[in-house]
Amino acid sequence: MKKIILSIAVVLVSLVSMAQKPEFLQTMSETLSLFSTCKNVADYQALGNKFQMIANVEKSEWLPLYYHAYCYILMSFMEPTDATKKDSYLDIAEKSIVKLIELAPNESEVYALQSFYYVGRLVVDPMERGQKFSALSGQAVGKSLALDPANPRAKMIKLQGDIGAAPYMGLDPKSFCPQAKELLASWDNFKPKSALYPSWGKEQVEGIVKGCQ
Amino acid sequence: MKKSVFYILFSILCLNAYSQTVITGKVTLQQGELLPGANVYLQGTYDGTSSNENGQFILKTKKTGPFDLHVEFMGYEPFSQKIELKGDTIRLNIQLKEAFNQLNAVTITAGTFEASDKKQAVTITPLDMVTTAGARGDVFGALQSLPGTTTNGESGRLFVKGGDSEESQTYIDGSLVYVPYNSSAPNQSTRGRFNPFMFKGTIFSTGGYSAEYGQALSSVLLLNTNDMPAEDQLDLSFLSIGVEAAGTKLWKDGAVTGSLTYSNLAPYMNLTTQNYHWIHAPESATGALSLRQKTGKTGMFKFYSSFNKNTFTINQENLEPGESSFDYKLANDNYFMNASWNGHLSEKWAMNSAASFTNNKDDIRYDQTTVGKKIVGAHVKNVFNYLFTEKFSLKFGGELFTKTFSQNVTMPAEIHDNSFTNHIIAGFTEAQLYASSKFVTRIGARAEYSDYLKNFKLSPRLSTAYKITDKSQFSLAYGWFYQNPIDDYLLYTNHLNPECADHYTFSYQSSIDNRTLRIELYYKDYKDLVKTNGDDFYLPTSYSNHGSGYAKGLDLFWRDNKTIKNGDYWISYSYLDTKRDYQNFPNEAVPTFASKHNLSVVYKHWFSGLRSLASVNFKYSSPRVYNDPNSQVFNGERMLPYRTLDLSWSFLYRKNIIIYGAVTNLPGFKNEFGRRYATSTDAGGNYPSVAIEPSSNRFYVLACFITLTRKGDANQLDKIE
Repeated sequence: MKKIILSIAVVLVSLVSMAQKPEFLQTMSETLSLFSTCKNVADYQALGNKFQMIANVEKSEWLPLYYHAYCYILMSFMEPTDATKKDSYLDIAEKSIVKLIELAPNESEVYALQSFYYVGRLVVDPMERGQKFSALSGQAVGKSLALDPANPRAKMIKLQGDIGAAPYMGLDPKSFCPQAKELLASWDNFKPKSALYPSWGKEQVEGIVKGCQ
Repeated sequence: MKKSVFYILFSILCLNAYSQTVITGKVTLQQGELLPGANVYLQGTYDGTSSNENGQFILKTKKTGPFDLHVEFMGYEPFSQKIELKGDTIRLNIQLKEAFNQLNAVTITAGTFEASDKKQAVTITPLDMVTTAGARGDVFGALQSLPGTTTNGESGRLFVKGGDSEESQTYIDGSLVYVPYNSSAPNQSTRGRFNPFMFKGTIFSTGGYSAEYGQALSSVLLLNTNDMPAEDQLDLSFLSIGVEAAGTKLWKDGAVTGSLTYSNLAPYMNLTTQNYHWIHAPESATGALSLRQKTGKTGMFKFYSSFNKNTFTINQENLEPGESSFDYKLANDNYFMNASWNGHLSEKWAMNSAASFTNNKDDIRYDQTTVGKKIVGAHVKNVFNYLFTEKFSLKFGGELFTKTFSQNVTMPAEIHDNSFTNHIIAGFTEAQLYASSKFVTRIGARAEYSDYLKNFKLSPRLSTAYKITDKSQFSLAYGWFYQNPIDDYLLYTNHLNPECADHYTFSYQSSIDNRTLRIELYYKDYKDLVKTNGDDFYLPTSYSNHGSGYAKGLDLFWRDNKTIKNGDYWISYSYLDTKRDYQNFPNEAVPTFASKHNLSVVYKHWFSGLRSLASVNFKYSSPRVYNDPNSQVFNGERMLPYRTLDLSWSFLYRKNIIIYGAVTNLPGFKNEFGRRYATSTDAGGNYPSVAIEPSSNRFYVLACFITLTRKGDANQLDKIE
């Protein structure tokens, strides 16, 4: 009898732990679908909170942290004027990125996001921070592309950086248009490893291409 | 049995399926403000929500049993409460307390200008150091656009809040720089020995500084060198007055930079009009090496070493009646070494170790006289910082200074060969306590013993700051400051005590949206200043500590990089009232280096179409006094006011090439720094004299900075981390 109870218990425990995975997958995909509904800083904050919550439970998963950091980076871009607020959002993103690098040190997407984060720091005060953070952002993109030369997000961030710096360097921003068009055309060829993997960035490239016309 | 197990399992499943607990309520701050965006969730589950714009939340969960409800929001202490989920509705009103965070808390600003890119609303940034017109690429030059300083064109050194230039000390990465300035001809402006590109941050304290710093009556300048460089690179600089090449090589967690600099003013001086006749224009060569190595997770070891050789010969008019002019020749050798380590020993313990060594030799020849001066100095220091809590920390440490100064003066009729060695051993401790994020107090003391003077001194230091609103604060600083008398006196006597100054500083600072206003009032009480009684300089009895003095003033600083798009300006104004009775003064008088009114206006503009950063700097100092031995009144004469309008232009020619041009005193304002007098009278019973003028009325620099990297897109502004 005891054996039976024990085996039931074992089955139950393993059922519960297996159930974790579908629950994780389901919660993640539900939460990810909310990106399309986000309109302002508060929306991204609520969404970031959700990812934070999932990350608290799933301590070995890097994706919840990734999206948590991503939300806070977007918040800093959306904040219209207050530099202190922008930096405080990025402070939060930074903490998640540090953990991300520990959790998934060989993941190309992690460094692409880190690069995006540096761009966030840069735009708070381009005059004072431009040189330092463009270098850091460039380094992170380099790491990302070394791990996965096809990563379209890394390519997009690099392209945006080059276009942003062009007027300061005596280059025509439009000279990057062929690259942008090529990136957009090949965007869908890149298949994320799973449905939960990052897939953002196409809109930004579409924006660049639009600017070319 | 089977039945009962099944029943239990079934009932658990049923409960899971059918009962739903609703947790609802609102999140507020201590002041009752509603807090939107707070993260409300059950720990260890996916069940959670965020508070809405009215601070309200509704969390529905199918879980049952005991759980921890967490409420979090950045900048606030996380809230947690145990709740029992039983399928009913739970109402909770949650109040979050502001978390204490040193980054947002009040900081002590009395007497301090900090330059770093870490903080918002800093008063001056590292970029300013190199792009401010009139700074001449000199750290000390850039600081002279800040309030509290007086520009002395015949010196170039820092004069702070009614203090002499000897009263300021310079530290690099925690250790003392014994000889921070280049050797210069008498009454000629000098500049700092260090390239401002070396530093990532600067703290310029003009009074009331921490117990960690001693042997300075007026100010300390704390320079922090760059951390790890980003990539291998080669920097080439071509200036109208010299060339520099610097190479950087990285390895894992470490880097080395080597540089060679050569400058020669001869070609420049031949092209432009000079007020003096240079037989050999200033020529200098420097080799420097710096190392960086990360140690462990937080540690950083830095090493810097440089050797500099500098020579010139200038022709000086001999004012003595019947004498002809003579050549003044100087050769200087300077070796400097600096090493530091800082990092965390554990979560609560931090340590900073620093050491420096200087060997500086001046060899001067003029008019049948030779002077050999040599300073050998070393400094070692260790500081510990212990963090009891986020709000309370204790710093303590000790340091040892040693210095040997020797001087040999050989004249046709006499020889003076003197030297002295002094050791100073010092210990200090300082506690920093935050009563709240609005109020901080720093209290400390410093004990010092000088073995040459056989003198022990204890100096208390106190400073405090109170945040009135989010954007504005008051700060107060008080302390006793001691410094040994200058080397020129200590050569002949050790029967002297350290000189003393008490500082009282009150400051108000407000920063709103990239506009900063600072108002500072101060009073300094000078005691035990060294006086000479007119007897022969080599007699120990010629010196006493009977001097005294005071300095009081008002400093204003306004910086705005908001109002004008792509523009940034700051205005510094200082009012200074000071008198002292020291050195050879017959009575209390205004010293030569002090001007009552000092104004500096800096404007910078980024022209994106031209890819250029332009900077204009206007400076005005009201007339200083000087002494005319022909007059009965001591220091009764007044110089011309000092005026200059400086321009600089940096142009980003390519990604990795910067072209830079600057001119100082563009309008050619006439500046004079008093007069130099003969030591004996002419036939008419008067002391002949000549005006002290700047080396030239205007100064031009043209430069090109090239950076070569593997990627090829960095430029030298990268160095300003």
